[in-house]
Amino acid sequence: MILHTLSAAPGDSVYLDCLRFVGEEDALLLVGSGVYGALKGSASEAALLDCGARLFILSAHAEAAGVRNVSGLFTMLDMAGFVTLTEQYPRQLAWH
Amino acid sequence: MIYSLLVLSSPLAGSSARTAADFAGAVLARGHTLERVFFLDAGVQHGAVSRVLPQGEHNTLDEWLELRRTHSVELLLCVSSALRYGMLDENEATRHERGAATVHPAFTIAGLGQLVEAHQQSDRLVTFGG
Amino acid sequence: METNPKSTLIVTRRSPCQGGIAKSALDTVLAMAVFDQPVALLFQGEGVLQLLPDQATELLGRGSLSRQLESLPLYDIDSLFVDAPAARHYGLDLTLCALAISPLEDSQIRDLMLQHHTVLGF
Repeated sequence: MILHTLSAAPGDSVYLDCLRFVGEEDALLLVGSGVYGALKGSASEAALLDCGARLFILSAHAEAAGVRNVSGLFTMLDMAGFVTLTEQYPRQLAWH
Repeated sequence: MIYSLLVLSSPLAGSSARTAADFAGAVLARGHTLERVFFLDAGVQHGAVSRVLPQGEHNTLDEWLELRRTHSVELLLCVSSALRYGMLDENEATRHERGAATVHPAFTIAGLGQLVEAHQQSDRLVTFGG
Repeated sequence: METNPKSTLIVTRRSPCQGGIAKSALDTVLAMAVFDQPVALLFQGEGVLQLLPDQATELLGRGSLSRQLESLPLYDIDSLFVDAPAARHYGLDLTLCALAISPLEDSQIRDLMLQHHTVLGF
């Protein structure tokens, strides 16, 4: 079980590499530039919805970036929620 | 739980710049212990004492100082990264004949052994990149 | 230190040209080894470019990552892995690599991550 925190932008090779290694028992949290991946109708959104992990997005970062009307398959989190995720997942891997 | 943080990203790195400091505050608010924040690579710039920001922009330094003041969180800057980025405390500034310190005194210059120790002693080591 | 130290996998993902992050990752690997902590290193994505032979970094007045990489076995750091799809993508001939390094496919990389207590992404 791994919590992947993805802060790279969807065009970055690190972003694509993250998706190669995400498993169904994992969580994936979009932060920073990673929130652009959840843009509705984008190819990156489709790839995320397909990756099998529990999907999360840091709401303050999404709002700051203007990423709105995000799919209901993403759980919006505040910072306390981010901490809770790290409590649940023994490994955290930052993709940046 | 005991948490430690590894901060690789610069305070200039967009929205991620605040994430580590905000996360640190949330860790403590949930009742966990935050033992150590280890700044490495570009992350050492969080220790800069003299950053001047435009009106309305947030200086993460204030958050780090608050964490240090209220919870005695250790703020460590990796020595090799700190030197490269010109982040010098009084000792290093004198040793390398560089004039004034550029690091806020709330931060301590330290070796990677402190990161290794934090990893062994903490339940969670959370990394913040760019 | 602990009698049952936690193991760490360090994932290094940037080329030597991308600032100092590759060096910081290597420094961390070495520090863990020096303190007798179990550590493994995975060259992933662009990070496989650190393995290119004949890097003449002195031409740009920069330190050499290659020399530091070659010192890894001296510290008994022998758990070295490379992202095989990335190596193929960059046309890397791993037989030219001075280090004894194991190529891994995607599912093996995931297994490697799960085999370690901690995974640190650089």
